Amino acid sequence: MTTFSIAQSLDQALQALADGARPVAGGTDLVVGSRQGKAPLPDTVIAIDRLDELAGISLSDDQLRIGAMVTHAQLMVDPIIAEHFSAIADAAALVGSPSTRNVGTLGGNVMNGSPAMDTGAPLIVLGATAELQTTSGNRQVTMEELWVSPGKTSANADELCVALNMPARPANSGSAYVRLEYRRAMEIAVVGAAASVTLDDGGMVTDARVALTAVAATILAVDLGDALAGKPIDEASLAAVAKIASETATPISDLRATDRYRRHTVGVMARRAVEAAGRRAGGETIAIPVNRTLGIGASQ
Amino acid sequence: MAITDTPRFVRADGPDKVTGSGRYVADLTLTGMLTAKLRYAGIAHARIIKIDVSAAKAIPGVFSVLTADDVPDLRYSPVVPDRHLFAKDTVRFEGEVIAAVAAINAEVAQQAADAVVFEYEELPIVADLEAALAPGAPLVHEDWESYDVTGDTPRDRNVATFSSITKGTKEGVDAALAAADIVVKQRYVADGSHAAPIEPRGVVAQWEGNKVTIWTSTQVPFDARNGVCETLQMPSNRVRIIVPHLGGGFGGKCGFHFEAHIAALAKASKRPVKLVFSREEEFLAPDRRRESMIIDLETGLNADGTIAARRGWVAVENGAYTADSAFFPQLAAMHVAGPYKIPFVHIDSSLVYTNHQPSGSVRAPTAPQGCWACETHTDELAKAVGMDSVAFRKLNAIDTGDEGVVGQVYGEIGLQQCLDTATEMAGYGQDLPDDEAIGVALGWWPSFPGASGAFVRLDADGAGQIVTGAQECGTGAVMTLRQLAADELGMDPEDFEIIYQDTGVAPYDTGATGSQTLLNNGRAVVAASEQIAEQLKDHAANMLEAAAGDIVLANGTAHVAGSPDKSVSIAELAEVAAGGQMLIGKGSPVPPEYPEIPGMNCVGDQGVAAWAAPQFSCHAVRVRLDRDTGVARVLAIACAHDSGTIINEIAAHGQVEGGVLMGIGQALTEGTVYGEDGRQQNPALLEYKLQTFADAPPISTAFIQIATAEAGPRGAKGLAEAPNVPTAAAISNALAKIVGQPIRQLPMTAERVWEATLSIADDSGETA
Ligand SMILES: Cc1cc2nc3c(=O)[nH]c(=O)nc-3n(C[C@H](O)[C@H](O)[C@H](O)COP(=O)(O)OP(=O)(O)OC[C@H]3O[C@@H](n4cnc5c(N)ncnc54)[C@H](O)[C@@H]3O)c2cc1C
Repeated sequence: MTTFSIAQSLDQALQALADGARPVAGGTDLVVGSRQGKAPLPDTVIAIDRLDELAGISLSDDQLRIGAMVTHAQLMVDPIIAEHFSAIADAAALVGSPSTRNVGTLGGNVMNGSPAMDTGAPLIVLGATAELQTTSGNRQVTMEELWVSPGKTSANADELCVALNMPARPANSGSAYVRLEYRRAMEIAVVGAAASVTLDDGGMVTDARVALTAVAATILAVDLGDALAGKPIDEASLAAVAKIASETATPISDLRATDRYRRHTVGVMARRAVEAAGRRAGGETIAIPVNRTLGIGASQ
Repeated sequence: MAITDTPRFVRADGPDKVTGSGRYVADLTLTGMLTAKLRYAGIAHARIIKIDVSAAKAIPGVFSVLTADDVPDLRYSPVVPDRHLFAKDTVRFEGEVIAAVAAINAEVAQQAADAVVFEYEELPIVADLEAALAPGAPLVHEDWESYDVTGDTPRDRNVATFSSITKGTKEGVDAALAAADIVVKQRYVADGSHAAPIEPRGVVAQWEGNKVTIWTSTQVPFDARNGVCETLQMPSNRVRIIVPHLGGGFGGKCGFHFEAHIAALAKASKRPVKLVFSREEEFLAPDRRRESMIIDLETGLNADGTIAARRGWVAVENGAYTADSAFFPQLAAMHVAGPYKIPFVHIDSSLVYTNHQPSGSVRAPTAPQGCWACETHTDELAKAVGMDSVAFRKLNAIDTGDEGVVGQVYGEIGLQQCLDTATEMAGYGQDLPDDEAIGVALGWWPSFPGASGAFVRLDADGAGQIVTGAQECGTGAVMTLRQLAADELGMDPEDFEIIYQDTGVAPYDTGATGSQTLLNNGRAVVAASEQIAEQLKDHAANMLEAAAGDIVLANGTAHVAGSPDKSVSIAELAEVAAGGQMLIGKGSPVPPEYPEIPGMNCVGDQGVAAWAAPQFSCHAVRVRLDRDTGVARVLAIACAHDSGTIINEIAAHGQVEGGVLMGIGQALTEGTVYGEDGRQQNPALLEYKLQTFADAPPISTAFIQIATAEAGPRGAKGLAEAPNVPTAAAISNALAKIVGQPIRQLPMTAERVWEATLSIADDSGETA
């Protein structure tokens, strides 16, 4: 038998976690997973959807804070996210269907820790940290530290993710997320890639990051070496990015794709993500999600 | 005509379905009702050593546990009776039912189903069609020779049925191929796929005395009834099948499935029993999957581009048992032969047993795959002879008065107009970016005339009731019956309610299968309405002091021709009639005849070579390919259909649009994946990828309307299956143009397309 309660305050939620309860946000992983027989529902479940502390998106001078309960539907249309942290909006807009996006949350996506999660690669390239809170304190954990293996995070059972934080964006920066999908809704990433690019006034790359979806046990940050630094985004540098991404990936074969195909296409995704991020860094507006314009089978 | 220009069509079942007030089987609850669970074999091929239900029966809350020992020991299935209700001696596919449980609730029922002890010895799995045909292959049915088969079909070991179609002679084909200027020979392989209706099926059974009422999600209530009668050995008047709203079927709910299992459980438990499938069960257990196929085609061309001869070899997967698939080989042969003028044709086609889920009539069985192979091949032929693929079809496709592949001479048909119209709508021939192309394919499909009945009555207040044996599976065909009755009686469609899908009250109809509902039941409703019209005219003639022949029924009144003022309302006439000879019409007209083809020399004829009122179509699809990933997107599709007279234009558009979307899925994303163990790897909607509305391209549709003789009401032919036929083929031809060679595997998944682009790149690398 599962006991379900609704937290009325953050303290109550933290106490419940300390007493062994599992949090449920939108329930689109937790509940659906249990019905599919992945894992039974926990004995005690506490709903965290009414906590103000976990809501809202706020940008200060140096930091963006996204409450853990912010939904994908909010992320994909929020003007701050769409304009400055576009990769997150690109990802959120691809999640499931309108109903999945209306209830599924960023905190849930992150804490579920699937290697195919869509917001993961954007969060890595944007330098995000997860803010984990307990009854006794609060710590910030980088995404790379957080994700350990498929479905497993380094967070302790009593830690609630209250927000995702990331530094404000430097000038001339852009980001993008692209995923390989076989259909346009209710899809799961076959592979995906996010990129963040900052350019100098001459259009040369000063900072670039790429992370990959669904090609390893966790979301994978790519070491770009000197593939982009100090260079323009052009055919040569994009080809180098694709090659590095493909070589970094350690994909598996499953029903969705063979490892060989994943290894190839993740390079294609990385290249497109960098291209889109670069264009956005240069001031161009590319509609959210990028997938519909220069992504997969793009068309209106 | 655009949808907005057509008259508004109010579906009688629409508001119920949209608002949620409609009731499906899963919504039914009866007093004392138990829950059923089936125990499946979970193994593809095994000899049964022991099935022990004692532990399951001992669980508190379990009312009954049934196995083969508890039902009449007989084999059933049309044409090739090769299966039992419960596995007996041998298990031949993973979804085979070995036991059924009824218990107080779902948890206990599942616990009991799991507690059934099943001991077996594994047998070698027959999975591959060619391997199944090899001499010495393990047999799926060791006693195949002893089966009591209907009709004459050559059978052999793993070949359940065999048909060939021939035009000319086999030797003639050989000679013509030898003499041809160009010969193209290719193999095409299609994976199996699923109907995937939105409603997983449910069955509820309740006994009163020696009569049973079964509420079930079937497309074919009378077939379901007959299945119960046959397997439980009951007369037809003690089995009543009622179908509440049906949440789609697409052929997956044709045939007889689990009605007898649940009726037997209800009888043994002395309680009503309900079964509701999970999505996974809906994938694994029914004997209705779209068959996988291997198609070899060899076609000879003359230098002028005309087709000289075709030889074909087809293997159609039957799976473990013969559901309604006995006629599939012949139908498949017709589709790979195609609607072309070919003087010499010979195609051999076998229905092959495997240890996979049985195949059965899913929307246009064998046709999307057969058409895909034929039409992909047709583009290869055009390329080989250096012709544009549309010009090649213009030259070779049949037209009114031409003789087709088994020697049938077609009356007035609109295939050539379909080709012209669809290609024009699609803008065929325009300049396109190099990652886009327009692919074109022709399709055809028979109509199936048959017996069908309906009653129509007008009650004292003039309100109409149509009582029909027809089954609404979502196509709108039954809903359109109101329109036919209203037109005959000068009334409004909304003056009629429909009592349908109850075998206890309505006369026989084949059901929502073979695109036959409007074709056959439409005629029945017209005939029944005509009888009432006669009665109304007689009454009106009396009251208006005119000759019955001068009475016109229109706008809810009867008036004298030429004097609209001399009128009486139909409601008034109905009131008069209600006091004496009531307004009850019955319709069961003699069905149109199937054509006879003199000299047809087809072996193993299953009655699907000579086509009544054949339907024709052309789809032209614009596709964009993301070359780097192999992901294809359908940008737009133009469809032209000759389905005879279109009676309900909105519903007809809906059929084409739904068929196209299903066709896109079959083309690109939908396919059953089997593991080495003979079990399905993707029996769920995450990994079995249906198309979604977000994927739907703009679809434009034109109907080439030819009032067809020996067809349905007003010269209508069938329509529900036809739009599913040529979509995958058209997409294939678009992809072949972009890639430079066809993808001869269905579905043409992104990865398969990508592999093809790679192999082309490799080839060109070598020659460079
Ligand atoms: C039909 C469908 C389609 C989907 N499509 C996609 C897709 O395209 N891309 C994608 O990435 N995902 C997809 N998902 C998965 C899912 O919707 C997302 O991962 C979603 O963001 C999960 O959020 P949630 O709020 O529903 O999480 P929940 O299910 O509520 O929680 C998920 C897990 O995280 C834990 N948790 C939740 N919130 C917190 C918190 N604040 N602190 C600590 N732990 C927490 C829960 O205990 C649970 O273990 C899909 C799911 C469905 C059902």
